[in-house]
Amino acid sequence: MSFSLKRINAIFQKDLKDLSKNMYIGSIIVLPILMAFLYSIGDGETPILLHYLVINLALSSVTAFIQCAVIAEEKEKNTLRGLMLSPASLTEILTGKSLVSLILTVVTIALCMVITGYEPTNLPLVILAIFVASLFFLALGTLLGLLTRSIIEASVVILPFIFLFGFGSMAKPFIEEITWLKFMEYLPNSQLEEIAYGVEVGAGFSDILENLAIILVWVLVGVILTIFVYKKRELD
Amino acid sequence: MENVIRVEALAKVFGNQTALENVDFQVEKGETFGFLGPSGAGKTTTIKILTGQLMQTSGEAFVFNIPTSELKKGMHRKRVGVLTDNSGLYERLSIHDNLKLFCDLYEVPRSRIEEVLDMVNLTNEKKKAVSKLSKGMLQRVLLARTFLHEPDLLFLDEPTSALDPTNSKQIHDSLRRMNEKGTTIFLTTHDMTEAETLCNRVAFLNKGKIQLMDEPKKLRRQYSDNTVIIELKDGRELKRTSGPEHAQEIYQYMMDDQIVSIHSDEPTLGDIFVDITGRELV
Repeated sequence: MSFSLKRINAIFQKDLKDLSKNMYIGSIIVLPILMAFLYSIGDGETPILLHYLVINLALSSVTAFIQCAVIAEEKEKNTLRGLMLSPASLTEILTGKSLVSLILTVVTIALCMVITGYEPTNLPLVILAIFVASLFFLALGTLLGLLTRSIIEASVVILPFIFLFGFGSMAKPFIEEITWLKFMEYLPNSQLEEIAYGVEVGAGFSDILENLAIILVWVLVGVILTIFVYKKRELD
Repeated sequence: MENVIRVEALAKVFGNQTALENVDFQVEKGETFGFLGPSGAGKTTTIKILTGQLMQTSGEAFVFNIPTSELKKGMHRKRVGVLTDNSGLYERLSIHDNLKLFCDLYEVPRSRIEEVLDMVNLTNEKKKAVSKLSKGMLQRVLLARTFLHEPDLLFLDEPTSALDPTNSKQIHDSLRRMNEKGTTIFLTTHDMTEAETLCNRVAFLNKGKIQLMDEPKKLRRQYSDNTVIIELKDGRELKRTSGPEHAQEIYQYMMDDQIVSIHSDEPTLGDIFVDITGRELV
Protein backbone atom coordinates (compact mmCIF):
# COMPACT_ATOMS: atom_id res chain seq x y z
CA MET A 1 0.00 0.00 0.00
CA SER A 2 1.42 3.37 -1.04
CA PHE A 3 1.89 6.18 1.45
CA SER A 4 2.81 9.51 -0.10
CA LEU A 5 3.06 12.53 2.17
CA LYS A 6 2.69 14.74 -0.90
CA ARG A 7 -0.72 13.24 -1.69
CA ILE A 8 -1.83 13.41 1.95
CA ASN A 9 -0.75 17.05 2.10
CA ALA A 10 -2.56 17.81 -1.18
CA ILE A 11 -5.83 16.41 0.18
CA PHE A 12 -5.30 18.21 3.50
CA GLN A 13 -4.56 21.56 1.82
CA LYS A 14 -7.61 21.18 -0.40
CA ASP A 15 -9.87 20.35 2.56
CA LEU A 16 -8.48 23.23 4.60
CA LYS A 17 -9.18 25.72 1.81
CA ASP A 18 -12.56 24.20 1.07
CA LEU A 19 -13.64 24.15 4.71
CA SER A 20 -12.51 27.76 5.26
CA LYS A 21 -15.18 28.72 2.69
CA ASN A 22 -17.85 26.48 4.19
CA MET A 23 -19.66 28.36 6.94
CA TYR A 24 -22.21 25.60 7.54
CA ILE A 25 -19.64 23.02 8.58
CA GLY A 26 -17.06 25.41 9.99
CA SER A 27 -19.47 27.08 12.40
CA ILE A 28 -19.97 23.84 14.36
CA ILE A 29 -16.77 24.53 16.34
CA VAL A 30 -18.65 27.35 18.08
CA LEU A 31 -20.85 24.82 19.89
CA PRO A 32 -18.31 23.36 22.39
CA ILE A 33 -16.62 26.76 22.81
CA LEU A 34 -19.96 28.31 23.72
CA MET A 35 -20.60 25.49 26.17
CA ALA A 36 -17.16 26.02 27.69
CA PHE A 37 -18.00 29.69 28.26
CA LEU A 38 -21.27 28.74 29.95
CA TYR A 39 -19.56 26.31 32.30
CA SER A 40 -16.79 28.78 33.10
CA ILE A 41 -19.25 31.33 34.43
CA GLY A 42 -19.44 31.42 38.18
CA ASP A 43 -17.04 30.95 41.05
CA GLY A 44 -15.36 27.83 42.22
CA GLU A 45 -13.64 24.98 40.50
CA THR A 46 -15.32 23.34 37.52
CA PRO A 47 -15.81 19.63 38.20
CA ILE A 48 -14.16 17.01 35.93
CA LEU A 49 -17.59 15.92 34.69
CA LEU A 50 -18.22 19.37 33.20
CA HIS A 51 -14.75 19.62 31.65
CA TYR A 52 -15.41 16.32 29.91
CA LEU A 53 -18.90 17.26 28.83
CA VAL A 54 -17.22 20.02 26.84
CA ILE A 55 -14.35 17.82 25.62
CA ASN A 56 -16.67 14.97 24.60
CA LEU A 57 -18.97 17.43 22.86
CA ALA A 58 -15.94 18.78 20.98
CA LEU A 59 -14.99 15.24 19.96
CA SER A 60 -18.46 14.29 18.80
CA SER A 61 -19.46 17.58 17.18
CA VAL A 62 -16.14 18.87 15.82
CA THR A 63 -14.21 15.65 15.13
CA ALA A 64 -17.03 13.31 14.15
CA PHE A 65 -19.47 15.81 12.65
CA ILE A 66 -16.96 17.69 10.50
CA GLN A 67 -15.41 14.43 9.31
CA CYS A 68 -18.86 13.03 8.54
CA ALA A 69 -19.95 16.18 6.69
CA VAL A 70 -16.82 16.51 4.53
CA ILE A 71 -17.00 12.85 3.49
CA ALA A 72 -20.75 13.08 2.82
CA GLU A 73 -20.20 16.21 0.73
CA GLU A 74 -17.51 14.44 -1.31
CA LYS A 75 -20.08 11.73 -2.01
CA GLU A 76 -22.90 14.16 -2.73
CA LYS A 77 -20.81 16.16 -5.22
CA ASN A 78 -19.25 13.05 -6.83
CA THR A 79 -15.74 14.18 -5.91
CA LEU A 80 -14.92 11.15 -3.75
CA ARG A 81 -14.98 8.99 -6.88
CA GLY A 82 -12.33 11.27 -8.41
CA LEU A 83 -10.08 10.64 -5.43
CA MET A 84 -10.79 6.90 -5.51
CA LEU A 85 -9.88 6.74 -9.21
CA SER A 86 -6.65 8.67 -8.64
CA PRO A 87 -3.38 6.99 -7.60
CA ALA A 88 -4.11 7.95 -3.96
CA SER A 89 -4.53 4.90 -1.73
CA LEU A 90 -7.22 4.38 0.89
CA THR A 91 -4.72 5.28 3.64
CA GLU A 92 -3.66 8.47 1.86
CA ILE A 93 -7.23 9.59 1.20
CA LEU A 94 -8.52 8.88 4.70
CA THR A 95 -5.43 10.30 6.42
CA GLY A 96 -5.54 13.44 4.27
CA LYS A 97 -9.25 13.85 4.89
CA SER A 98 -8.90 13.34 8.66
CA LEU A 99 -6.18 15.92 9.25
CA VAL A 100 -8.40 18.99 9.04
CA SER A 101 -10.94 17.53 11.51
CA LEU A 102 -8.10 16.50 13.79
CA ILE A 103 -6.43 19.92 13.76
CA LEU A 104 -9.76 21.68 14.34
CA THR A 105 -10.36 19.27 17.25
CA VAL A 106 -6.99 20.07 18.82
CA VAL A 107 -7.60 23.82 18.50
CA THR A 108 -11.18 23.58 19.84
CA ILE A 109 -10.28 21.36 22.80
CA ALA A 110 -7.27 23.53 23.68
CA LEU A 111 -9.46 26.63 23.60
CA CYS A 112 -12.14 24.94 25.69
CA MET A 113 -9.58 23.81 28.27
CA VAL A 114 -8.28 27.36 28.57
CA ILE A 115 -11.80 28.75 28.90
CA THR A 116 -12.95 26.22 31.54
CA GLY A 117 -9.55 26.37 33.28
CA TYR A 118 -8.92 22.63 33.02
CA GLU A 119 -5.34 21.89 34.14
CA PRO A 120 -4.92 18.12 34.49
CA THR A 121 -2.31 16.82 36.91
CA ASN A 122 -0.73 14.69 34.18
CA LEU A 123 -1.24 16.59 30.91
CA PRO A 124 0.67 14.18 28.58
CA LEU A 125 -1.45 11.26 29.74
CA VAL A 126 -4.69 13.20 29.22
CA ILE A 127 -3.49 14.33 25.78
CA LEU A 128 -2.71 10.71 24.86
CA ALA A 129 -6.15 9.55 25.97
CA ILE A 130 -7.92 12.37 24.09
CA PHE A 131 -5.84 11.63 20.98
CA VAL A 132 -6.76 7.92 21.03
CA ALA A 133 -10.43 8.83 21.58
CA SER A 134 -10.30 11.29 18.69
CA LEU A 135 -9.24 8.43 16.39
CA PHE A 136 -12.49 6.68 17.25
CA PHE A 137 -14.50 9.84 16.53
CA LEU A 138 -12.69 10.28 13.21
CA ALA A 139 -13.53 6.69 12.26
CA LEU A 140 -17.15 7.22 13.34
CA GLY A 141 -17.42 10.40 11.26
CA THR A 142 -15.86 8.76 8.22
CA LEU A 143 -18.11 5.73 8.53
CA LEU A 144 -21.30 7.78 8.81
CA GLY A 145 -20.15 10.05 5.99
CA LEU A 146 -19.63 7.04 3.75
CA LEU A 147 -23.02 5.61 4.69
CA THR A 148 -24.95 8.78 3.92
CA ARG A 149 -25.58 10.44 0.57
CA SER A 150 -25.65 14.14 1.38
CA ILE A 151 -24.60 16.67 4.01
CA ILE A 152 -28.21 17.09 5.11
CA GLU A 153 -28.63 13.34 5.59
CA ALA A 154 -25.27 13.16 7.38
CA SER A 155 -26.26 16.03 9.71
CA VAL A 156 -29.37 14.10 10.75
CA VAL A 157 -27.76 10.67 11.02
CA ILE A 158 -24.95 11.90 13.28
CA LEU A 159 -27.25 13.63 15.77
CA PRO A 160 -27.96 10.55 17.96
CA PHE A 161 -24.21 9.90 18.13
CA ILE A 162 -23.54 13.49 19.21
CA PHE A 163 -26.08 13.03 22.00
CA LEU A 164 -24.76 9.60 22.98
CA PHE A 165 -21.06 10.46 23.00
CA GLY A 166 -21.33 14.17 23.75
CA PHE A 167 -23.97 14.22 26.45
CA GLY A 168 -23.90 10.52 27.47
CA SER A 169 -22.22 11.36 30.76
CA MET A 170 -25.41 13.07 31.92
CA ALA A 171 -27.10 9.67 32.00
CA LYS A 172 -24.52 8.28 34.42
CA PRO A 173 -26.60 8.83 37.59
CA PHE A 174 -29.26 6.51 36.11
CA ILE A 175 -26.90 3.64 35.28
CA GLU A 176 -27.27 2.14 38.78
CA GLU A 177 -31.06 2.02 38.45
CA ILE A 178 -31.46 1.14 34.75
CA THR A 179 -29.43 -1.98 34.03
CA TRP A 180 -29.43 -1.75 30.24
CA LEU A 181 -27.75 1.63 30.46
CA LYS A 182 -24.67 -0.11 31.86
CA PHE A 183 -23.17 -0.35 28.38
CA MET A 184 -22.60 3.39 28.58
CA GLU A 185 -19.78 2.82 31.02
CA TYR A 186 -17.83 1.25 28.16
CA LEU A 187 -18.30 4.05 25.69
CA PRO A 188 -15.13 5.98 24.76
CA ASN A 189 -16.44 9.17 26.37
CA SER A 190 -16.99 7.38 29.73
CA GLN A 191 -13.54 5.80 29.51
CA LEU A 192 -12.04 9.21 28.84
CA GLU A 193 -13.69 10.54 31.99
CA GLU A 194 -12.47 7.59 34.03
CA ILE A 195 -8.94 8.27 32.84
CA ALA A 196 -9.33 11.93 33.82
CA TYR A 197 -10.58 11.03 37.32
CA GLY A 198 -7.73 8.53 37.68
CA VAL A 199 -5.11 11.05 36.61
CA GLU A 200 -6.34 13.50 39.24
CA VAL A 201 -5.74 10.92 42.01
CA GLY A 202 -2.26 10.13 40.73
CA ALA A 203 -2.84 7.30 38.24
CA GLY A 204 0.05 6.58 35.87
CA PHE A 205 0.17 5.07 32.38
CA SER A 206 -0.12 1.48 33.64
CA ASP A 207 -3.20 2.37 35.70
CA ILE A 208 -5.10 3.70 32.70
CA LEU A 209 -4.07 0.93 30.30
CA GLU A 210 -7.37 -0.90 30.66
CA ASN A 211 -9.36 2.24 29.81
CA LEU A 212 -7.07 3.01 26.89
CA ALA A 213 -7.45 -0.58 25.65
CA ILE A 214 -11.26 -0.24 25.71
CA ILE A 215 -11.04 2.98 23.67
CA LEU A 216 -8.60 1.25 21.30
CA VAL A 217 -11.11 -1.55 20.75
CA TRP A 218 -13.65 1.10 19.72
CA VAL A 219 -11.04 2.60 17.38
CA LEU A 220 -10.32 -0.80 15.87
CA VAL A 221 -13.99 -1.61 15.32
CA GLY A 222 -14.55 1.85 13.82
CA VAL A 223 -11.56 1.53 11.48
CA ILE A 224 -12.49 -1.99 10.32
CA LEU A 225 -16.08 -0.95 9.59
CA THR A 226 -14.86 2.19 7.80
CA ILE A 227 -12.46 0.22 5.57
CA PHE A 228 -15.19 -2.30 4.80
CA VAL A 229 -17.69 0.40 3.79
CA TYR A 230 -15.03 2.36 1.85
CA LYS A 231 -14.16 -0.74 -0.17
CA LYS A 232 -17.85 -1.23 -0.92
CA ARG A 233 -18.19 2.42 -1.95
CA GLU A 234 -15.32 2.04 -4.45
CA LEU A 235 -17.79 0.05 -6.53
CA ASP A 236 -21.13 1.31 -7.81
CA MET B 1 -0.50 -4.88 -32.30
CA GLU B 2 -0.76 -4.75 -28.51
CA ASN B 3 -4.23 -4.84 -26.98
CA VAL B 4 -4.89 -2.16 -24.39
CA ILE B 5 -8.44 -3.33 -23.66
CA ARG B 6 -9.71 -6.88 -23.99
CA VAL B 7 -13.29 -7.81 -23.19
CA GLU B 8 -14.59 -11.37 -23.42
CA ALA B 9 -18.20 -12.51 -22.98
CA LEU B 10 -18.85 -9.60 -20.63
CA ALA B 11 -22.25 -9.50 -18.97
CA LYS B 12 -23.81 -7.29 -16.33
CA VAL B 13 -27.19 -7.82 -14.78
CA PHE B 14 -28.86 -5.36 -12.38
CA GLY B 15 -31.62 -7.21 -10.58
CA ASN B 16 -33.71 -8.63 -13.39
CA GLN B 17 -32.44 -6.14 -15.96
CA THR B 18 -29.64 -7.13 -18.31
CA ALA B 19 -27.37 -4.16 -18.99
CA LEU B 20 -24.69 -6.03 -20.96
CA GLU B 21 -24.90 -9.40 -22.64
CA ASN B 22 -22.01 -11.39 -24.10
CA VAL B 23 -19.98 -8.36 -25.11
CA ASP B 24 -16.65 -9.05 -26.86
CA PHE B 25 -14.19 -6.50 -28.22
CA GLN B 26 -10.57 -5.47 -28.17
CA VAL B 27 -8.99 -2.05 -28.42
CA GLU B 28 -5.49 -1.75 -29.79
CA LYS B 29 -2.78 0.57 -28.54
CA GLY B 30 -3.06 4.01 -30.15
CA GLU B 31 -6.60 3.44 -31.36
CA THR B 32 -9.59 5.74 -30.86
CA PHE B 33 -12.45 3.35 -30.30
CA GLY B 34 -16.01 4.57 -30.32
CA PHE B 35 -18.65 2.81 -28.31
CA LEU B 36 -21.88 4.08 -29.77
CA GLY B 37 -25.44 3.68 -28.74
CA PRO B 38 -28.51 5.43 -27.41
CA SER B 39 -29.03 6.24 -23.73
CA GLY B 40 -29.42 3.07 -21.70
CA ALA B 41 -27.57 0.92 -24.23
CA GLY B 42 -24.89 -0.06 -21.68
CA LYS B 43 -22.09 2.35 -22.63
CA THR B 44 -21.54 3.83 -19.17
CA THR B 45 -21.84 0.39 -17.56
CA THR B 46 -19.04 -0.82 -19.82
CA ILE B 47 -16.81 2.14 -18.89
CA LYS B 48 -17.50 1.61 -15.21
CA ILE B 49 -16.51 -2.05 -15.46
CA LEU B 50 -13.39 -1.20 -17.45
CA THR B 51 -12.32 1.41 -14.89
CA GLY B 52 -12.92 -0.83 -11.89
CA GLN B 53 -15.96 1.09 -10.64
CA LEU B 54 -18.34 -1.78 -11.20
CA MET B 55 -18.00 -5.57 -11.12
CA GLN B 56 -19.26 -7.56 -14.04
CA THR B 57 -21.75 -10.38 -13.48
CA SER B 58 -19.76 -12.70 -15.76
CA GLY B 59 -17.09 -12.60 -18.44
CA GLU B 60 -13.63 -11.08 -18.44
CA ALA B 61 -12.37 -7.53 -18.83
CA PHE B 62 -8.69 -6.63 -19.05
CA VAL B 63 -6.99 -3.25 -19.27
CA PHE B 64 -3.25 -3.37 -20.01
CA ASN B 65 -3.65 -7.16 -19.67
CA ILE B 66 -4.67 -6.73 -16.03
CA PRO B 67 -8.12 -7.82 -14.84
CA THR B 68 -10.10 -4.63 -14.18
CA SER B 69 -10.83 -5.74 -10.62
CA GLU B 70 -7.07 -5.37 -9.94
CA LEU B 71 -6.71 -1.91 -11.45
CA LYS B 72 -6.76 -0.13 -8.10
CA LYS B 73 -3.01 0.10 -7.68
CA GLY B 74 -1.61 3.64 -8.01
CA MET B 75 0.79 2.74 -10.84
CA HIS B 76 -2.13 1.54 -12.97
CA ARG B 77 -4.31 4.51 -12.04
CA LYS B 78 -1.61 6.84 -13.38
CA ARG B 79 -1.92 5.24 -16.82
CA VAL B 80 -5.66 5.79 -17.06
CA GLY B 81 -7.79 8.94 -17.34
CA VAL B 82 -11.52 8.70 -16.71
CA LEU B 83 -14.35 11.09 -17.45
CA THR B 84 -17.79 9.75 -16.63
CA ASP B 85 -21.18 11.18 -15.78
CA ASN B 86 -20.35 10.86 -12.08
CA SER B 87 -17.17 12.95 -12.18
CA GLY B 88 -17.34 15.95 -9.87
CA LEU B 89 -15.38 19.06 -8.95
CA TYR B 90 -14.88 21.02 -5.72
CA GLU B 91 -17.35 23.85 -6.20
CA ARG B 92 -15.97 26.29 -3.65
CA LEU B 93 -12.46 26.05 -5.08
CA SER B 94 -11.17 27.70 -8.24
CA ILE B 95 -10.46 25.81 -11.47
CA HIS B 96 -6.74 26.18 -10.74
CA ASP B 97 -7.07 24.80 -7.19
CA ASN B 98 -9.06 21.81 -8.45
CA LEU B 99 -6.36 21.01 -10.99
CA LYS B 100 -3.58 21.64 -8.47
CA LEU B 101 -4.98 18.91 -6.23
CA PHE B 102 -4.93 16.39 -9.05
CA CYS B 103 -1.43 17.50 -10.13
CA ASP B 104 -0.22 16.51 -6.67
CA LEU B 105 -2.23 13.28 -6.56
CA TYR B 106 -0.81 12.17 -9.93
CA GLU B 107 2.62 13.63 -9.11
CA VAL B 108 2.58 15.84 -12.19
CA PRO B 109 4.41 19.23 -12.28
CA ARG B 110 2.04 22.13 -11.71
CA SER B 111 3.23 23.74 -14.95
CA ARG B 112 1.01 21.18 -16.66
CA ILE B 113 -2.08 23.09 -15.44
CA GLU B 114 -1.49 25.89 -17.97
CA GLU B 115 -1.07 23.34 -20.77
CA VAL B 116 -4.34 21.53 -20.09
CA LEU B 117 -6.25 24.78 -19.56
CA ASP B 118 -5.04 25.86 -22.98
CA MET B 119 -6.24 22.54 -24.43
CA VAL B 120 -9.78 23.21 -23.21
CA ASN B 121 -9.73 26.97 -23.82
CA LEU B 122 -10.01 28.02 -20.17
CA THR B 123 -6.71 29.78 -19.53
CA ASN B 124 -8.37 33.10 -18.74
CA GLU B 125 -10.89 31.56 -16.35
CA LYS B 126 -8.53 29.67 -14.07
CA LYS B 127 -9.19 31.82 -11.01
CA LYS B 128 -12.97 31.45 -11.28
CA ALA B 129 -14.72 29.41 -8.60
CA VAL B 130 -16.15 26.19 -10.03
CA SER B 131 -19.58 27.08 -8.57
CA LYS B 132 -19.73 30.02 -11.00
CA LEU B 133 -19.10 27.98 -14.15
CA SER B 134 -21.61 27.03 -16.82
CA LYS B 135 -22.30 23.36 -17.59
CA GLY B 136 -20.09 23.50 -20.67
CA MET B 137 -17.22 25.06 -18.72
CA LEU B 138 -17.56 22.41 -16.00
CA GLN B 139 -17.26 19.72 -18.63
CA ARG B 140 -14.12 21.39 -19.99
CA VAL B 141 -12.55 21.55 -16.50
CA LEU B 142 -13.29 17.84 -16.05
CA LEU B 143 -11.66 17.14 -19.40
CA ALA B 144 -8.64 19.23 -18.38
CA ARG B 145 -8.39 17.16 -15.19
CA THR B 146 -8.56 13.97 -17.24
CA PHE B 147 -5.77 15.17 -19.57
CA LEU B 148 -3.57 16.40 -16.69
CA HIS B 149 -1.39 13.31 -16.22
CA GLU B 150 -1.13 12.45 -19.94
CA PRO B 151 -2.63 8.99 -19.50
CA ASP B 152 -1.87 6.09 -21.83
CA LEU B 153 -5.57 5.30 -21.96
CA LEU B 154 -8.50 7.71 -21.83
CA PHE B 155 -12.05 6.67 -21.01
CA LEU B 156 -14.41 9.43 -22.09
CA ASP B 157 -18.13 9.09 -21.52
CA GLU B 158 -19.97 11.60 -23.74
CA PRO B 159 -17.10 14.10 -23.48
CA THR B 160 -18.63 16.89 -25.56
CA SER B 161 -22.30 16.41 -24.70
CA ALA B 162 -22.58 19.79 -22.95
CA LEU B 163 -20.34 21.76 -25.28
CA ASP B 164 -21.05 24.24 -28.06
CA PRO B 165 -19.65 23.49 -31.56
CA THR B 166 -16.59 25.75 -31.15
CA ASN B 167 -15.50 24.14 -27.90
CA SER B 168 -16.38 20.65 -29.19
CA LYS B 169 -14.04 21.25 -32.11
CA GLN B 170 -11.26 22.40 -29.80
CA ILE B 171 -11.69 19.28 -27.64
CA HIS B 172 -11.70 17.09 -30.75
CA ASP B 173 -8.45 18.71 -31.88
CA SER B 174 -6.90 18.11 -28.45
CA LEU B 175 -8.03 14.49 -28.47
CA ARG B 176 -6.58 14.01 -31.95
CA ARG B 177 -3.25 15.47 -30.82
CA MET B 178 -3.19 13.19 -27.75
CA ASN B 179 -4.03 10.22 -29.94
CA GLU B 180 -1.21 11.13 -32.32
CA LYS B 181 1.16 11.09 -29.34
CA GLY B 182 0.08 7.52 -28.59
CA THR B 183 -2.88 7.85 -26.18
CA THR B 184 -5.50 5.18 -26.69
CA ILE B 185 -9.01 6.60 -26.45
CA PHE B 186 -12.17 4.73 -25.52
CA LEU B 187 -15.04 7.04 -26.30
CA THR B 188 -18.74 6.59 -25.72
CA THR B 189 -21.08 8.90 -27.53
CA HIS B 190 -24.39 9.08 -29.26
CA ASP B 191 -23.05 11.85 -31.48
CA MET B 192 -22.33 10.08 -34.75
CA THR B 193 -20.51 13.06 -36.25
CA GLU B 194 -18.11 12.99 -33.30
CA ALA B 195 -17.58 9.27 -33.80
CA GLU B 196 -16.94 9.67 -37.52
CA THR B 197 -14.51 12.55 -36.87
CA LEU B 198 -12.47 10.86 -34.17
CA CYS B 199 -12.76 7.09 -34.23
CA ASN B 200 -10.62 4.51 -36.01
CA ARG B 201 -13.20 1.88 -35.17
CA VAL B 202 -16.69 1.94 -33.76
CA ALA B 203 -18.96 -0.59 -32.10
CA PHE B 204 -22.73 -0.20 -32.11
CA LEU B 205 -24.22 -1.13 -28.77
CA ASN B 206 -27.93 -1.69 -28.46
CA LYS B 207 -29.77 -3.14 -25.45
CA GLY B 208 -26.49 -4.40 -24.00
CA LYS B 209 -25.31 -6.21 -27.12
CA ILE B 210 -22.77 -5.24 -29.75
CA GLN B 211 -24.60 -5.21 -33.06
CA LEU B 212 -21.81 -4.18 -35.39
CA MET B 213 -18.12 -3.28 -35.14
CA ASP B 214 -15.77 -1.94 -37.78
CA GLU B 215 -14.06 1.14 -39.19
CA PRO B 216 -16.57 3.94 -39.89
CA LYS B 217 -15.44 4.18 -43.52
CA LYS B 218 -15.90 0.44 -44.09
CA LEU B 219 -19.31 0.47 -42.43
CA ARG B 220 -20.50 3.34 -44.59
CA ARG B 221 -19.24 1.57 -47.69
CA GLN B 222 -20.78 -1.73 -46.60
CA TYR B 223 -24.17 -0.14 -46.07
CA SER B 224 -23.96 2.09 -49.12
CA ASP B 225 -26.32 1.38 -52.02
CA ASN B 226 -23.51 2.29 -54.46
CA THR B 227 -25.15 5.40 -55.79
CA VAL B 228 -23.77 8.80 -56.60
CA ILE B 229 -25.59 12.11 -56.36
CA ILE B 230 -25.01 14.45 -59.27
CA GLU B 231 -25.96 18.09 -58.84
CA LEU B 232 -26.40 19.85 -62.15
CA LYS B 233 -26.16 23.53 -63.02
CA ASP B 234 -29.82 23.62 -64.10
CA GLY B 235 -30.78 22.75 -60.51
CA ARG B 236 -31.56 19.07 -61.01
CA GLU B 237 -30.16 16.45 -58.63
CA LEU B 238 -29.67 13.00 -60.14
CA LYS B 239 -29.14 9.77 -58.29
CA ARG B 240 -27.30 7.12 -60.27
CA THR B 241 -25.67 3.80 -59.43
CA SER B 242 -21.92 4.04 -59.56
CA GLY B 243 -21.51 1.10 -61.93
CA PRO B 244 -20.53 1.26 -65.65
CA GLU B 245 -24.18 1.45 -66.78
CA HIS B 246 -24.31 5.21 -66.09
CA ALA B 247 -20.70 6.04 -66.95
CA GLN B 248 -21.54 7.37 -70.41
CA GLU B 249 -24.33 9.61 -69.08
CA ILE B 250 -22.14 11.07 -66.33
CA TYR B 251 -19.29 11.52 -68.80
CA GLN B 252 -21.58 13.47 -71.08
CA TYR B 253 -22.66 15.83 -68.26
CA MET B 254 -19.01 16.43 -67.54
CA MET B 255 -18.22 17.10 -71.17
CA ASP B 256 -21.12 19.57 -71.31
CA ASP B 257 -19.83 21.30 -68.16
CA GLN B 258 -23.19 20.69 -66.45
CA ILE B 259 -21.99 19.32 -63.11
CA VAL B 260 -21.88 21.42 -59.95
CA SER B 261 -20.96 18.52 -57.66
CA ILE B 262 -20.78 14.77 -57.70
CA HIS B 263 -20.46 12.66 -54.57
CA SER B 264 -21.17 9.19 -53.31
CA ASP B 265 -24.41 8.66 -51.40
CA GLU B 266 -23.11 6.83 -48.34
CA PRO B 267 -25.22 6.47 -45.22
CA THR B 268 -24.10 8.17 -42.00
CA LEU B 269 -23.27 6.05 -38.95
CA GLY B 270 -26.58 7.25 -37.54
CA ASP B 271 -28.45 5.91 -40.60
CA ILE B 272 -26.66 2.56 -40.25
CA PHE B 273 -27.50 2.36 -36.57
CA VAL B 274 -31.18 3.00 -37.23
CA ASP B 275 -31.08 0.49 -40.09
CA ILE B 276 -29.67 -2.25 -37.86
CA THR B 277 -31.45 -1.62 -34.60
CA GLY B 278 -34.59 0.19 -35.63
CA ARG B 279 -33.81 2.69 -32.87
CA GLU B 280 -32.92 6.35 -33.02
CA LEU B 281 -29.74 7.47 -31.29
CA VAL B 282 -31.12 9.57 -28.44
